[in-house]
Amino acid sequence: MQQFDNASAGDIVLSLADRIIENRAYLSEIDGKIGDGDHGVNMAKGFGMAADRIRGNDMSLATAFDTLGTVLMTEIGGSMGPLYGVMFTQFAETIEGSSSIDAGTFSAMLTNGLDGIQSIGSAKVGDKTLLDTLVPAIEAFDAANAGGKPFPEALDALVVAAEKGRDSTKDLVARIGRASRLGERSVGVLDAGATSCALILETLALGAKQKLQLSATVGR
Amino acid sequence: MTVKTSSARKNGTVRAGAEAASEPIPLRYGDDPYVWACWLYYEDHMTQGDIAEIMGISRATVNSYLADARARGIVNISLEPSRLSSLSIAQELKRHFGLHDCLVVPSDDNTRPLIDRLGGAAAQALAKLLKSGDTLAVAWGRTILAIGEQASVPGLQDVTIVQATGGTAASFAYTPELCASAIAGAVKAKLINITAPAVVSTAEVRDMLLRETLIQSQFGALAKANKALFGISSLRPNSTIHTSGFFESVSLQQYLAKDAVGVVAGRFIDGQGKPVAGPLDDRTIGISLDMLKAISLRIAVAGGFDKVPAILATLRGGYVNVLITDAATGRGILNADGVTELDQKLSQRPRVDNTVALPSNFRTHIKKFLNDPNDVVEEMLDGVVKANATYVMPIKGSHRALVARTGPRPGKVGLVVGGGTGHEPCFLGYVGKGLADAVAVGNIFSSPPPGTIFQCANAASGGQGVLFVYGNYAGDVMNFEMAAEIAAEHNIEVRTVVTTDDIASSPLEDREGRRGVAGNFFMFKIAGAACDRGLSLDACEAMTRKANARTFTMGVALEPCSMPQTRRQNFEIGPDDIEIGMGIHGEPGVLREKMMSADAITDRIMDRIFSEMKPAAGDRVAVLVNSFGATPLMELYILFRRVEQRLSAKDITIEANWVGHYCTSLDMVGASITVMHLDSELTELLHHPCDTAVLRIG
Repeated sequence: MQQFDNASAGDIVLSLADRIIENRAYLSEIDGKIGDGDHGVNMAKGFGMAADRIRGNDMSLATAFDTLGTVLMTEIGGSMGPLYGVMFTQFAETIEGSSSIDAGTFSAMLTNGLDGIQSIGSAKVGDKTLLDTLVPAIEAFDAANAGGKPFPEALDALVVAAEKGRDSTKDLVARIGRASRLGERSVGVLDAGATSCALILETLALGAKQKLQLSATVGR
Repeated sequence: MTVKTSSARKNGTVRAGAEAASEPIPLRYGDDPYVWACWLYYEDHMTQGDIAEIMGISRATVNSYLADARARGIVNISLEPSRLSSLSIAQELKRHFGLHDCLVVPSDDNTRPLIDRLGGAAAQALAKLLKSGDTLAVAWGRTILAIGEQASVPGLQDVTIVQATGGTAASFAYTPELCASAIAGAVKAKLINITAPAVVSTAEVRDMLLRETLIQSQFGALAKANKALFGISSLRPNSTIHTSGFFESVSLQQYLAKDAVGVVAGRFIDGQGKPVAGPLDDRTIGISLDMLKAISLRIAVAGGFDKVPAILATLRGGYVNVLITDAATGRGILNADGVTELDQKLSQRPRVDNTVALPSNFRTHIKKFLNDPNDVVEEMLDGVVKANATYVMPIKGSHRALVARTGPRPGKVGLVVGGGTGHEPCFLGYVGKGLADAVAVGNIFSSPPPGTIFQCANAASGGQGVLFVYGNYAGDVMNFEMAAEIAAEHNIEVRTVVTTDDIASSPLEDREGRRGVAGNFFMFKIAGAACDRGLSLDACEAMTRKANARTFTMGVALEPCSMPQTRRQNFEIGPDDIEIGMGIHGEPGVLREKMMSADAITDRIMDRIFSEMKPAAGDRVAVLVNSFGATPLMELYILFRRVEQRLSAKDITIEANWVGHYCTSLDMVGASITVMHLDSELTELLHHPCDTAVLRIG
């Protein structure tokens, strides 16, 4: 089966939190080169708080996303709080009515998350932001899907595109946020938001693939 | 082991050894200089300098031999397995449950009973965790008494120990009274007992007792506890809870029937840590679970495999943030919560350390006054709320939202300011009569969230609308806009002025894209005066916009600031460089130049300000010379001197000036100069009285 169960997939969000917390120092370090160096700390704080509320409560993926989105949006502040907050809240709203998640639902979820971010932020692809990771990743996933690739392969394509998108920010000039005031001096450094976004998408894809494998084994 | 080099050195013939360096390597080392170097270092305990002389190589080469020897497996450094294991389990418990700290005693030492070993470990931990001035709530149990018997924490002042529950019959040795008294004795602290039974016959009796002045004062002391020490009881049949007589066994069965798995400070919890309701709840006199959770440091000491479910429940419920246990129990807790990769981690080889030794005076970290770097904002706010108590108070108990004591009033437009921390005294120092009514406080350099900002708007509202004034940063704009939407849903009209005084941050054509920096000081002052004078929301907004349009700031950084979390500088400036146009978050400036004289720097700034301000002879201005944190007043006055010279040369009068720390960037070395171009309205508002922690006029 090319789908996985929503109700038992909340632990994917726990592994998201683990990855972000593991990379706390790294994210802060790259943020420190052209920003204020707090990206990892704030992200780890928010994801950690959400994980505390999720852990042990046996949540569906939708509920876990909603918990994460709400914590980020209401309790973290900064710019990443609202941006990732709205993304995860949109993820949650998209999938809350689906008992299982197939490639179509997954794509709709990502697209709605992107729409949410674009509704509150004004960045475009090429501005050296998390959109440089998110937009090509969704495009690659949809293209693989449309080309008849199985769900797990489409997830692989998403990860490859996310990492490529993240790396593309190295050569870009920041056009938005605090780093934008640096102009050309922002070139040569990865964008912290694009980097954390790639981490999130990778972990999400990995989690989804594991769930797909599991439901395939159970299904047989 | 007889080693020739060692005796040679003792005889003071090191030099001779060095001369002999061209001789072949002694036979016993084979042909391997790495082994030779390692032998001298690890077995002969010689310094790297001495080894360099003996081997006739440089010190750096010795250092790299030693590092390579570890990488190549010539030298293996191993930790004693049981200690490594308990350390790894502690780290994993800390990470998995988000604990403040965790101490795990090795399990394989069967020479002493577990309770004694836990007590000993906790006694040591207590010596580190307890500070002068603390109030520690102490619960009861065998483990707690063991701590009291082994602890000795001398040298503390003004510590109070409060018994966390009522008392029990002395049918066992570890009564609440005895436990609290043992700890108080060990710390030489003041002891406050709860002089009522832990469990009374009826709810009425409890309520009557709780109304007694004496007991009220004891609970008052308990409510002041900032640290707590408690054990965790399991409800398994072999638990002492059944024999202690603390609870009647009939009632216990009722809690067990409702899936209670453990007892924390006399309260029952289920497997998820949620409170379990039962017949004793209304008859119990002692700390409640909510009270316990409100205490900032909550130390639980418990071990034993039968306690795994109870400890896990306590962790899940968030009742503990410092856990002291043993390795077997710790591993059991992690396994029970689904952590399986621990054993994998334990089998991993320690990483090879390839770092090259740096000179002993080389610094990688900045010294700071810190306790836990993760708590800097909370601890600062604790201090602010106390220090500025005459001006501000927390809104609904939150230190992240502070309201002026004499600020908001019906019929007045409310002024809400806010932003990240690290800029002190911005923004919280400007709250008080005649200035801001409320401030929303974020993390370091990071906007507060919308909920906090809305609480401020709500507290500041006097029915005539609320004005938001904050600096132009993407994060602040998003969060304040969301807060304004929430306020609108609550029928509070919000207007916003985003400050954009940093003339270096964008060209004039993009005035609206500029960031807000130290000029906030003037914008807040004007807005606060307009609000305090009872002007309409429209007029308050218009005055603030005018102030923003006529305020010009430019900053220069000489050295970077360092983040409390990392204690490292968050960007680099070369030894001879300065950053012109530096922001207040350590964002690198707009251009980097070579260091120059104070007057030359001031002139660069004033030239830019004059080109935008276009002043005429006879104009009046207000001036702010502001430190970024680490630049002393001495240098600020040197800058001000030149500012005054430049202004008076143009026949511009300084109506008012401020020199000092008004909007900082942690410990950045640098300063900014702000000039507000006054007109009669702005002059009048500038002189309007205000009374805040940082600024008082009239």
